Amino acid sequence: MTKKMKIRIAEIIILLIALLVVPLFVKNNYYLLVFNRILINAIVVLGLNFITGLTGQMNLGMAGIFALGAYASALITRYANISPWVGLLLAIAVGWVIGQCLGYPSLRVKGVYLSLTTIGFAEVIRLMFSNLTDITGGTQGMRNIEPYSLFGFKFDTQGKMYYLFFVITAFGFFIAWRIVYSKWGRVFKSLRDNAEAVEMSGVDIADVKIKAFTICAIYGAVAGALYAHFMGYINPSTFTIDMSTNFVIMLLIGGLGSVIGNIFGAIIVTILPEMLRFLDDYYLITFSIIVLLGAIFFPNGWVDAVVRLGKKTINIISDKRAENGKAVSR
Amino acid sequence: MSSILKASNVTKKFKGLVAVDDLDFDMKDNTIHSLIGPNGAGKTTTVNLITGVHDLTSGSVEFDGKIISGLPTYKIARSGIGRTFQNIKIFSSMTVLENIMVGGHEQAKLGLVRGVFDFKASKAEEKKLREKAEEILNKIGMYELKDKLMKNLPYGRQKISEIGRAMMNDPILILLDEPAAGLNPSERAELIQVITKTHREGFSYFLIEHNMDVVMNISDYITVLNFGRKIAEGTPKEVQNNEEVIKAYLGNKYVTKKKVSGEV
Amino acid sequence: MNAAVLVQLLVSGLAMGFIYALVGIEYTLVWNSTGLLNFSHDKLIMLGAYLFGGTFVLGMGFSNPLAIVLAFVIMGLIGVLIANGIFNPLRTMQSMIFAVMGTMILGRIIKEACRLIWGPAPFAISGWLSGNIRIGKISISNANIIICLVSLLVVIGLQLFLNFTKTGKAMRCVAQNKKAAALMGINVTQNICITTAVSAIICSIIGILIIPLFNVSTTMSNSIGLKGFSAGVIGGFGYLPGAIIGGIIIGIVENLAVMVLPAVYKDVVSFVLLILFLLVKPTGLLGKRA
Repeated sequence: MTKKMKIRIAEIIILLIALLVVPLFVKNNYYLLVFNRILINAIVVLGLNFITGLTGQMNLGMAGIFALGAYASALITRYANISPWVGLLLAIAVGWVIGQCLGYPSLRVKGVYLSLTTIGFAEVIRLMFSNLTDITGGTQGMRNIEPYSLFGFKFDTQGKMYYLFFVITAFGFFIAWRIVYSKWGRVFKSLRDNAEAVEMSGVDIADVKIKAFTICAIYGAVAGALYAHFMGYINPSTFTIDMSTNFVIMLLIGGLGSVIGNIFGAIIVTILPEMLRFLDDYYLITFSIIVLLGAIFFPNGWVDAVVRLGKKTINIISDKRAENGKAVSR
Repeated sequence: MSSILKASNVTKKFKGLVAVDDLDFDMKDNTIHSLIGPNGAGKTTTVNLITGVHDLTSGSVEFDGKIISGLPTYKIARSGIGRTFQNIKIFSSMTVLENIMVGGHEQAKLGLVRGVFDFKASKAEEKKLREKAEEILNKIGMYELKDKLMKNLPYGRQKISEIGRAMMNDPILILLDEPAAGLNPSERAELIQVITKTHREGFSYFLIEHNMDVVMNISDYITVLNFGRKIAEGTPKEVQNNEEVIKAYLGNKYVTKKKVSGEV
Repeated sequence: MNAAVLVQLLVSGLAMGFIYALVGIEYTLVWNSTGLLNFSHDKLIMLGAYLFGGTFVLGMGFSNPLAIVLAFVIMGLIGVLIANGIFNPLRTMQSMIFAVMGTMILGRIIKEACRLIWGPAPFAISGWLSGNIRIGKISISNANIIICLVSLLVVIGLQLFLNFTKTGKAMRCVAQNKKAAALMGINVTQNICITTAVSAIICSIIGILIIPLFNVSTTMSNSIGLKGFSAGVIGGFGYLPGAIIGGIIIGIVENLAVMVLPAVYKDVVSFVLLILFLLVKPTGLLGKRA
């Protein structure tokens, strides 16, 4: 293990501990709710990174995947009257199926065509859930979805849920990290640059693309299931193209392909609108303008931009020092 | 010598246009076999037919005793054929080492789920892959550049790196589609050196090239195409003195001058 | 189901089809000239309706024709602004993800701006394109007839513009090959401005036409925007006649689908068609091979 990696791992451990003690100091339920939403969003972005970040294919249907996970878990919990954990397993299965199904079009259509396909998919899902009134309650939504519980311990407050989601997100982060920085992550990335060359290396690119889509869909569906039991209420009008767009914005702000960036993207995009609330009516437009300017001026993501700026200042400072040193020696 | 790559009656039509017409050739193991011909003769199409990028209209391609025509590209690649591209196809946002390592993706057999949870196995596999890639980089003289981003490399280096990537799969045969195009003389010399050196170590090369210096210097055998048809084949010497070949390259009026220089 | 209802469904389907066709034309123009899929186009449609209805008719009390002309002028200017400020930087970016997201976020900004300027409550313009014509048992709304007529006029006008004016011909050149067009002395950037302005004006035409169908609100054009994309794909992406045919097909099919499917599934039809076409025939009905 190199020294650099050791530092990285130490950083991550410190971050983990810091995040674990958060609810001990934050007693405000509203903040904890925002934290929980960050954790759920982070799971989605970690998944989206595989498809839009690494293989470079535009997936604008994340809200549809998210909705399928949420409804699958909520419906089975309600109608089969079983634990939400089974719902979570079902969400994983649903994610796997969506991944296999959505992966197929990604073999045939590329670029904007794929973004249109995924938008169409998400819209069909949303309209289906709003129209199956007998089962889903239609546009009224589903209420009183049971929270998670473990051996009789109910995760029914924001603080308790924070720990649960934290563990799940950390696990999701671990898996994503392991995949992205392995030969699989490498082959996903190479697919973005040049698919023909990958195929000529003996790689079944159809299989790899479907794998990437399946990972992405499982993350999305799991996050959806968590969301349903976290909110206790779901409504099809939440799962719009606006939601899909938000997930992609998180990915962009964090930087395409970077796992740590994914987390920062989720944090920034979830918190920034909350911080801009003082602008009242103007907060959404301000937020959008900030994001648009960011997309135009920092195409590698904000995290990267900050890191670069940091490096530049360090360089300038050390250059100055070097100059001063020379001056002294002279 | 046994045959390694054999094309029998290979024909490819694109909407009525016959790109390759009833082509036969038989490439021997452990040779450098070149396919030459004027622009539009169907050379790149032939490579695309061998690698399964295009489907054959009729005929068959045999590699190492097995029919490969009709197989998908990745299966042909797995059977032991590597390839470089006329217009380079590199992973420009990745480092040189990573580029080469992608070539060995199929060599590493660890599955996705085991790769995540089995730290030891995945680490060992990654190490093996990296060492192999570094060894190949040494072979093609690019070890020092391994951590550079591919897009920052000069064109010649990028082209040679494609040969390295192809080698990761332990191929027996590597198809080179115009490797010297766009290279300056010193890069070209380096390319020839890489090809001849690795050829001595056991790689067979099927070469498509316009630059006759390169072709005549390193080829063991040459097949000449014109308008999709084979018009001649033989050793470099035989081909240089073939009337049909001279006619195809220079036009009818040069045929009477029997003596022809190396510049075909 | 009797014949009169069928005819009414057909006519309203045709009218909606023409709307989708116009949407198809409007974004295909931008797609061809910039290579960007303008995801903010539905918000431009909405903006056109707000400018016409909210500001010029209800706010300033202008007559309808004057309001229309003013809406066109403002929308044209906004088009130039968007082309210069946003499309030009976005189209040179290496990753198409930024281009898509850029136009997406632009749409949000426009939507928020509308909500702030004109308020969140939807409103109607009384008397605008209202009334019905009765022919025997069949009753057809004036709005539908006017939508069909105006759309036809726009289509014909655009064809004349593209084929017989110097600017229009230059626009077609840029659509086919930007580099060659630039070498031939066509100012590509300026051309993109004009194209975007024309596209924005068509957006305002759509917005003004659909006021009687959807009222003026921040969500009035959401589904139209997406269905317009379906129209383009079904007819043949990037090909103007394709967008028109695709639009009319979607309009009629989704209206007639009500006869076999529950009415609530009307909106699903176009998306299912979109996905089917993308998977089975991505080039669309009239498209040439890419």
